[in-house]
Amino acid sequence: MSARTSVARRTLATPLILSALLIVFALLAWFVGSKPFNQTIIDIFLRVILVVGLYIFVGNSGVISFGHAGFTCLGAYAAAWLTMPPMMKQTLLPGLPEWLTALQLPYWAGAGLAALWAAVWAALFGKILMRLSGIAASIATFAMLAMINTIYSNWEDVTGATSSVVGIPIVRTVWPYLIAAILAVFIAWAHAISRAGLALRAARDEPTAASASGIDLPRERLIAFVVSGAVMGMGGALFAHSIGVVTPDTFYLGLTFITLSMLVVGGMGSLSGAVIGVLFLSVLIQALRWLEAGVTIGASKFALPNGVQEIALGVVMILILARRPSGLMGNKELGWRRAGSVAPDVSGQKQPDLSKGVSK
Amino acid sequence: MRRLGADGVTVAFDGLTALSEVNLAVAPGRITGLIGPNGAGKTTLVNVLTGFQAPTGGAVTLDGTALTGLKPHEIRRKGIARTFQGGRLFRDLPVIDNLEVTGVGLGQSRRAAIAEAEAMLDWVGIAALADRIAGTLPYTDERRVAIGRALMGRPGYILLDEPAAGMSAAEAADLAALVRRIALEMGCGVLLIEHNVGLVLELCDHIVVLDSGAVIETGDPAAIRASEKVRHAYMGTAAEAQMPEGVA
Ligand SMILES: Nc1ncnc2c1ncn2[C@@H]1O[C@H](COP(=O)(O)OP(=O)(O)OP(=O)(O)O)[C@@H](O)[C@H]1O
Ligand SMILES: [Mg+2]
Repeated sequence: MSARTSVARRTLATPLILSALLIVFALLAWFVGSKPFNQTIIDIFLRVILVVGLYIFVGNSGVISFGHAGFTCLGAYAAAWLTMPPMMKQTLLPGLPEWLTALQLPYWAGAGLAALWAAVWAALFGKILMRLSGIAASIATFAMLAMINTIYSNWEDVTGATSSVVGIPIVRTVWPYLIAAILAVFIAWAHAISRAGLALRAARDEPTAASASGIDLPRERLIAFVVSGAVMGMGGALFAHSIGVVTPDTFYLGLTFITLSMLVVGGMGSLSGAVIGVLFLSVLIQALRWLEAGVTIGASKFALPNGVQEIALGVVMILILARRPSGLMGNKELGWRRAGSVAPDVSGQKQPDLSKGVSK
Repeated sequence: MRRLGADGVTVAFDGLTALSEVNLAVAPGRITGLIGPNGAGKTTLVNVLTGFQAPTGGAVTLDGTALTGLKPHEIRRKGIARTFQGGRLFRDLPVIDNLEVTGVGLGQSRRAAIAEAEAMLDWVGIAALADRIAGTLPYTDERRVAIGRALMGRPGYILLDEPAAGMSAAEAADLAALVRRIALEMGCGVLLIEHNVGLVLELCDHIVVLDSGAVIETGDPAAIRASEKVRHAYMGTAAEAQMPEGVA
């Protein structure tokens, strides 16, 4: 019997290549050394964490979630509660329990607990939501987001309601964000190649056959929901530390839209797609911003009128989706053998024998 | 006694009675045939036996214990496997992964599931297809993969819903040989649903004939062949032409 190489070994190239890509971006920030550019790269890493977190559930289950920004909100406020100086908490958030007010953890410990906190809520919400399918499930996730947003916008002495919570310790170097983004990529990869990930992807297109194969679909969905909730929570905590301020609306419709767009443009069914989608759209957004601010060519200064950025972004997204409905990566992953020959999604077409050499 | 049974199963879809008081038993190592015209309720009965359809009356029993209220994946874990009329492979996954998914669903590690999947593909005789994407397979191969997938974890029973539909005579003969091996070599109880009556008469130890949701005849192939009722309700004159064909 031919011994197949283990699944982990066969697929390890994907997270490694993606991590290398992220490291290149971090080095770029380091070499350039300008403050705004540094912040731009940090923002990119944060989006990588959030979009990869979203991918863990949406990509594997095929259920679109409009609610994941809610977990980011939970994570961000948890980070505020855990890391702000007690003095600030006393004045801004007088409703916090005493032990929490007195606590001041380092940002990384706060981020870890924030991930756990978001995961607990994902488990509670998921218990109910994961029984639903299709559009009903998607709308229910949106309802969850609206609930979280409403609670955080009104619970004055615990969340500060709609006013900004300031005084969260700011972390300005790119490295923690880089490490967290790489961690997110590896978590997503580990989940995707786990039994739970395989079962969920099988059920994505054939739920009936999956049940007939012994798969407990609500359970597998719940696992993905919790893992992805944790990653979103960690992303939320780091988000808070990147700017030092949180408001509930930072984690609402705008964030939901941008993260989903990046995932869909990159390729919903692919971890590589999640990362590529973020990098591609972020670079595009940044380039348009620079153009809007104006570039000097020779003697004349050239600047795009304001608002062009949003319009151009929309046009590019529509064009990509028109040409590649399943995103830049389709269902494919970056790998050693396929690097450089990332084919568009050709499901239904006979595949070349690419996989032969990899899997035997 | 070891058996998978439908005991007085009734299914009513609002207004329409798809099954009324159907009794049927599948025994380990034996091939039971289920035939009947289109819309007779054959697939509905398979759905009841595998937990996809709750019966309005009666019960499904495994070795005398009722399986009432169990979900499809729980029933599969009790060793009752099925295939689907439409194939329903995991289209985007390679063939080997299609089998692996069942192993994983049954609680195996991925490594163990892959090992069993390889052995199973070999046993079914389609080892060469292991790395093909399931969605690209021709019809006949698709059926074999579906059977291989259902056989993962060595189920006690397998319910085959029209596995030979659309096959040529030679392909149907190959399939017949496979079904026989499933019963003899694996000791698996087989329920075979087929429109190819010749195939059923050739393969089965015992046959149940369903018409409009009711059992109209049961017996061994000779008895079914001789039955006036069956001839009347199901075969008509067309059956004479169909019977010798397909057995090949
Ligand atoms: N979910 C459902 N809701 C309503 N009616 C249904 C449902 N499923 C099946 N039926 C009806 O029940 C009857 C039996 O259908 P079933 O699919 O079991 O027949 P069958 O014997 O498998 O037919 P075929 O040989 O065409 O596969 C048909 O009249 C069908 O229209
Ligand atoms: Mg049918």
